[in-house]
Amino acid sequence: MSNEIEEQELPGIGRRYRLAGRDGGSAVVVIHHSGRRDLYVMAADAEAPQATLALTDRQARTLGAVLSGAYFTPAVVEEMEAVIGDILIDWVTLRPDSPGADRSIAELEIRRRTRMTVAAVARDTGTIIAPEPTEVLRAGDRLVVVGRREDLAAFTQHVIGAASG
Amino acid sequence: MGETLVAVGGAFLAAGLLARLGRRVGLPTIPFFMVAGILFGPGTPGVVLVEEPEDLELLAALGLVLLLFHLGLEFSLDDLIGGGRKLLAAGAVYLGLNVGGGLALGFALGWGTREAFVIAGAVGISSSAIATKLLVELRRLANPESRLILGIIVVEDIFLAFYLAILQPVLGESDGLGDAALEFGRAFAFLVLLAATARWGARWVGKVVDASDDELLTVCFVGVAVLAAGVAEEFGVSDGIGAFMAGLILAETAAHERIERLVLPLRDAFAALFFFAFGLTVDPGDFGSVALPVAVAVVVSLVLNLTAGIITARMHGYSRGPAANVGLTVLGRGEFSLILATLAAAAGLDDRIGPFVAEYVLVLALAGPLLASRSGLIARRIPPRLVGETPPTESGSLDAQRMG
Repeated sequence: MSNEIEEQELPGIGRRYRLAGRDGGSAVVVIHHSGRRDLYVMAADAEAPQATLALTDRQARTLGAVLSGAYFTPAVVEEMEAVIGDILIDWVTLRPDSPGADRSIAELEIRRRTRMTVAAVARDTGTIIAPEPTEVLRAGDRLVVVGRREDLAAFTQHVIGAASG
Repeated sequence: MGETLVAVGGAFLAAGLLARLGRRVGLPTIPFFMVAGILFGPGTPGVVLVEEPEDLELLAALGLVLLLFHLGLEFSLDDLIGGGRKLLAAGAVYLGLNVGGGLALGFALGWGTREAFVIAGAVGISSSAIATKLLVELRRLANPESRLILGIIVVEDIFLAFYLAILQPVLGESDGLGDAALEFGRAFAFLVLLAATARWGARWVGKVVDASDDELLTVCFVGVAVLAAGVAEEFGVSDGIGAFMAGLILAETAAHERIERLVLPLRDAFAALFFFAFGLTVDPGDFGSVALPVAVAVVVSLVLNLTAGIITARMHGYSRGPAANVGLTVLGRGEFSLILATLAAAAGLDDRIGPFVAEYVLVLALAGPLLASRSGLIARRIPPRLVGETPPTESGSLDAQRMG
C-alpha cells in the first residue's frame, strides 16, 4: 500500500490520476482539458467502475478541499482545524463574554497555562502575525492557534469560555 | 436570397433535430446529420430543402476546413511522444491491418487504382469524434486500455494528415509521369513551406492573429484557416490539408487555447452542414447496388478491428475485456471517411464510392457505438488463448500477490 499517485497522459482528453485504496480498489480522477473532472471508483479487479461522477472545475476544487480537510465557509469558521502530524492548527473566534476578551496574551499566560500558542490574530483592522505578549485580545478576534490536539480543550476553556447556545 | 436562407436554415434545423433524436438513445450525431441530408435532398420523395447540392457547396467547404483546422490545432506531438513507443506501435498495428485491409478490398472491388486508394482510407481510418465521445459516455476513461485507444486515435490523426497530403496529387488528373512528378513537387513544396512556418514562423503568425479580444481573434483565425485551405487547393494539395497545417501553425502561438475554445461552435455548426451536404448527394436508390461491397467491408472492418484489439491487448498484457473494448470503440467510421468520399467525388472518381462510403459509414457509425456499449458480451466469445489468458489456475497466485 502506498500513497503514490500514478499519473498518465490521455491524448486529446487530458490527464489521468490513479490512487490505490486500502481494499484493493482505486480512485481514478480524469482531468479534461476543458476543466471537467471525472471521478471513478473502481473495485478490485473490476473492469467497469462502481461509481462515477462528473464535476465542474469549481465543484472539483470544493470536493478536493473537503477531502483535504481544508474546506470551510465563514459561517463555521470555529470548526476549522487541521492536523499535521502531531501538530494541530485551529481557528477560534473570541466572543464578547469570552474570558480572554480585553486581556493581553501575557496576562492570560496562554502558553504556560494551556501549552498552545497564538500564531496570528485576524481582526477587522488587519491581521497580526505572531502577536507580541502585550497584544490585547478583543471580542470578534479570530485566533489561529497551534499546539497539540489534547491541549485544545484547555485553551478553549481558558480563553474562549464554554460554548454558548 | 430568401429561398437560400430557408434552405440553409432548414438544413441546420433538420440536421440538429434528427441528431437530437439519435442522442436520446446514445447514438453519435454524424450519421444523423448525413441522414437528414438524404431525407431532405433530391434523392428521396417528400420535402426537398435543397435541390442542388452545389447550393450548399461553400458552406459545406467551410465545415470541412474547420473540421481539419481544429484537428491541426488540437494535434500535439507531445501527446504522442509522451505516450511512448507502445502507443505508437498500437496505432501502427491498427492502421496496418485496417488500411491494408481497406486497400486490398479496394483492389478486389476492381473500381480502379485511384478508387482503391480512397477506399483504403475511408475503410481504414476510424472516427476520432465517435471514439472519443464513446469513451467519455461509456465512462471508460478510467480503464487502462482507454489510453491505448486514445493513442490509436492520435496515430490515426497523423496518418490522415500525411495520407491527405499525398492523396490529392494521386487523385489529380495528370498526363504522364513528368506532369505527375511536377504536381507532386509543387504540393510537396507547399507543404514544406507550411511546415517550416509552423516550426519557425508561428510567432509572427501569432502576432498577426492574436488580438486581445475574442471577436477580432475569431475573425482573424477564420481568415488564416480558410486562406490556407484555398491556397493549398490552388497548389494542388487538398484544402483540408491546408486547413490542418493552419491549425498546426496556430497551435504554436500564445492564443492557442483561446482559438481552440472559439473555433468549437463554428466547427460544430459548419461541420453539421458538411455532413448534411454530403447526404444531399446520396441517392438511397443506389444503396442496393453497393450493398454487397458494403456488407463485405463491414465484416472486414469488424474482424480487423477485433484482431487489432486482440494484438494490442496482448502487447500490453490485457485480457479479453479490454481487447474487445479497444477493437469496438474505434470501429465507428464517420467524418474522415466522408471527407475522403467528398474528395473522390470532386476528383471525378467512380460514382459508386459516394453511396458505398455513405452506407458503410451509416452502418458502422451506428453499429460501432452499439457494439462498444455491449463489448462485454463480445469479449466472452473471444477464445481466451488468443489473448494469452490462462484459465482459473492462476487466480490463486494473483490473490496471493495482492495480499502480499
